[in-house]
Amino acid sequence: MAGFIVKYKWWIISVSTALAVALGLMIPTVETDPEIRNFVPRTMSSRISTDSIEKDFGVQDMILVLLTDSSVLTAENLGSIKEIDRGFSRMEGISTVNSLFTARKIEGRDGMMIVDPLVRRIPDNPARTEQLREDILANQFALGISVSEDMTAAAVTGTVNPDVPEYLTLNRVDSIIAEQDSEKKMLTGGLPYIRRYIVEDVNHDALFLIPIALVIMLLVLKLSLGDWRSVFMPFSVVVLTVIITMGLIPLIGWKFSILSLLVPIILISVANNYGIYLVTRHKELKRSVVPPGRREMLKQLTGSLRMPILFSGLTTIAGLLGLLAHSIIPARQVGVLAASGVAVALALSLLLIPSLIYLRERSGAKTRLPKDHSKDLLSRAINAVSKLVIRHPGRVLLASAVITLTVSTGIAFLRIDTNQENYFPHKHPVRKASELINSKFGGSQTISVMISGNIKDPAVMKGIDDLTQHLKQQEGVGSVFSIADVVREMTKALYEPHEKGYDKIPDSSQAIAQMFELYNMSGNPDDLKQLMNFENTKAHLLVKLSRPENEIIRDLRDEIKSYTAGFRAEITLGGYAIIMADFAQNIIQGQVTSLLFALLAVFILLSVIFRSARGGLIGSIPLAVSIIIQFGVMGLTNIAIDAATALLSSIMIGVGVDFTIQFLWRYNSELRKGLSHAAAIVMTYRTTGRSIVINGLSVMAGFSATFISGFLSIRYFGYLVLLSIGSCLLCAIIVIPAFMLWFKPAFIEANINRIKIKNDKNGKDVLSAVSTADSFTAGTYGTAAGCHAADGQKP
Amino acid sequence: MDRSRDLTMSGNLQSTVTLTITEKSGATRTRVVNMVSKTYGDTEKRMMKFIDPADVRGTAMLIIDNKESQDDMWIYLPALRRTRRIVSTEKGKSFMSSEFTNADMASGSNSDFNISHMPQSGENGLWVIESVPMDDDIAYEYGFSRKVTWLEKQGLKIKKIDFYNFDGDLFKTIEILRTQPKTGGGEGYIMTEMYATNHLNGRTSRVLFDELNTSASIPDNTFIADNLSR
Repeated sequence: MAGFIVKYKWWIISVSTALAVALGLMIPTVETDPEIRNFVPRTMSSRISTDSIEKDFGVQDMILVLLTDSSVLTAENLGSIKEIDRGFSRMEGISTVNSLFTARKIEGRDGMMIVDPLVRRIPDNPARTEQLREDILANQFALGISVSEDMTAAAVTGTVNPDVPEYLTLNRVDSIIAEQDSEKKMLTGGLPYIRRYIVEDVNHDALFLIPIALVIMLLVLKLSLGDWRSVFMPFSVVVLTVIITMGLIPLIGWKFSILSLLVPIILISVANNYGIYLVTRHKELKRSVVPPGRREMLKQLTGSLRMPILFSGLTTIAGLLGLLAHSIIPARQVGVLAASGVAVALALSLLLIPSLIYLRERSGAKTRLPKDHSKDLLSRAINAVSKLVIRHPGRVLLASAVITLTVSTGIAFLRIDTNQENYFPHKHPVRKASELINSKFGGSQTISVMISGNIKDPAVMKGIDDLTQHLKQQEGVGSVFSIADVVREMTKALYEPHEKGYDKIPDSSQAIAQMFELYNMSGNPDDLKQLMNFENTKAHLLVKLSRPENEIIRDLRDEIKSYTAGFRAEITLGGYAIIMADFAQNIIQGQVTSLLFALLAVFILLSVIFRSARGGLIGSIPLAVSIIIQFGVMGLTNIAIDAATALLSSIMIGVGVDFTIQFLWRYNSELRKGLSHAAAIVMTYRTTGRSIVINGLSVMAGFSATFISGFLSIRYFGYLVLLSIGSCLLCAIIVIPAFMLWFKPAFIEANINRIKIKNDKNGKDVLSAVSTADSFTAGTYGTAAGCHAADGQKP
Repeated sequence: MDRSRDLTMSGNLQSTVTLTITEKSGATRTRVVNMVSKTYGDTEKRMMKFIDPADVRGTAMLIIDNKESQDDMWIYLPALRRTRRIVSTEKGKSFMSSEFTNADMASGSNSDFNISHMPQSGENGLWVIESVPMDDDIAYEYGFSRKVTWLEKQGLKIKKIDFYNFDGDLFKTIEILRTQPKTGGGEGYIMTEMYATNHLNGRTSRVLFDELNTSASIPDNTFIADNLSR
């Protein structure tokens, strides 16, 4: 490999740079996809159903302009509402409008059926205002839809026309609002606004989060490696890896999502590790009494570190590929991209860094030698921990078990949250608007029930009416609308209250057909467009949820299914809320399967590395404990599993497994040298222990950039990734050594024996393997920072 | 424009009207009605009775179209044996849920508009006239910001009307596909086939007037609500 690098060094440098430039140029073409329903596969049943409903009844995404005041029935407020209503009506980007000024009043009076606008003119005296208030309270098409019951909030709702670019529509709405005197009392909401905020915040995050993570990593590298020349090499791998990986997104044809933000952060945190091994090992070789020549140095460098770096990279890739078991599409994409990025980082570390080191050697540049940190705070802390573990391994294990079990009680309180409004912080306009909509206007999330059959059939219409009334009584339902409401309202205008047909579904299909015709003559036929199709063969029942919680949505779905089991029509259940409930189910399944996949992959790799299934199991302990702690803390702190936090476990497994491998590998080699268990542990702490801690802290530092994300969900991800990697780190350096001392597992001994036997037969091969192990564990941060106890082992 | 409008004022009219609405998807809905109408100065009275489809047969409407005030409408639903008066102020409201509005189906009032010639007016034998609502409220009531009418210079027959929405975009076109001179002499004509295209939603509506009679004697008491159920 060294020969290859020497021969093709300029090719390696040129190709790496050219690849980064070519793919980097593609990055600006990346589109952001803010549509959360694209998180779930198109083949999922709820998505198919929803698409089918939207094909007949149009996209149900609504823009809401909300006005709040002590009373919305003032001339100024009503004037603003009227202007917004008119503005909406004139916009091509809005298909249908709903407001106080589009609401109709259907009433029977003196033998007349009067269909008129609810507000014919803005009241100019208290008596007329009071009359309007009473009219609103009596109007089921306005109360709780266009005006809240307490008259303190009004809503103008527009259904978006998907044929017009959404940003144009939203810009136009903003300019209409800006022209109003009541602008300051207004809030905007609805999915189109949420999508716009997501795009804005994703772009903002990408612009700030990635540079900040890079700066943090630059500082961490400077602290670890000392001189800027040494920092340059692993840092250039980080930068090139991030550019190449992000450039893959448009190349593959994917789009950027909220979750994609995590890819560069993962890579910035992880991609430098392999380069650091090489740079520190290079320093170590330079420190030798007789430093090897350039070519020999390269040979020793690549020969000793190639396999351990590959093992480390492969375990990380395996953990990240666990995300492929997720059914959340962006989660799979994050898995593929992050794993590809790690592969790129591996390749660049194994080829580019040695090439740069070779060239640097040729230029005769001096390498600053590492300082002695053996007396620093970190070394003293590690020393204290090692003493504690060696003296009281049983107590350490007991305490760890108690802490883990105590925290695990939080798992009982775990909850899933798929509401994308909760991605945003509490004071964000999206959250304020959704809270207002949920409390005053029935709710921002909906379930759609499509009834396919002869809608004019009285039995079908009565069924729709029964379902409408039944759902209005259910927990978490804010309001329900159906064609049955319109028919009943019309009967109130056609019949007197004492007559039989008043507020009832008519008994004949002719009567229903004629009432539809009557509405077409008197009302606006577009009013019915969302409730019934053109051919009167499909009806749409819309349920607004005041509490869009997954349990409530699932209960409602089951209730609707059982209630409509005997219907004389086909029932299709869909809508955003149903998709989100299925999404929640997918998150749980994805969480379990990705966890199992990642654990299994890591277990197999560990078993291969330690040549023992038991070794694989023991090596997985820190991961298992960290997973328990992560979910326990999430339950105790009420942080929900959502699209972002669902990725935690796989990322933690991919990143955190290294700590245990490094510790056990070194411990194994110390035992092999004939040291006692306790002495081997002490030596492992002094050498690899320090490097593991610094490695872990640098990864955590990289992820800490997520704290400033605009998305609450990404921030929670950041807190939790620190927690889980932190607990993985502590497990690797506290629980694993205590476990080794207390149980003295046979796989470590058996391994030693086998190597010894093999050593007798083929000393040369084993010597090479042993030196590889030592070089890897010694040649990390610990060595760079002065813990260079490679114990005389030379490759 | 006043002259052109006067030419379309039908006086008395009897006809079978077939209205076909076609959705963008190709789905169609057809209504056949018998219509009798009579003009009294600025007021037009129309009686319509549904013939087809079967489930709405017998449904009847009486419309008093007042040019300067709100329209009156009565409707009879045979299945419910109910007659109801419907009050509406919106001239921009859809006619039988088609792309035509009630205003399109009536002779129209020019006093609501500022009328002027377009630059190309007079070319190719056509007058091109722009009508802009007098104020915002009128525009809102009619549902458009301006309309452009193509008239034959000879005979002043309307060929086409383009309607523009409040963004200034063309959203609807009505084409006069067929006309017929009024029976009984005179220079007026009746539009017997009109085709409306909604450019925004892709929906089209076609209205056909058959068995047209403009010289029939129509008694004034035809247009009373009691006749709806007969």
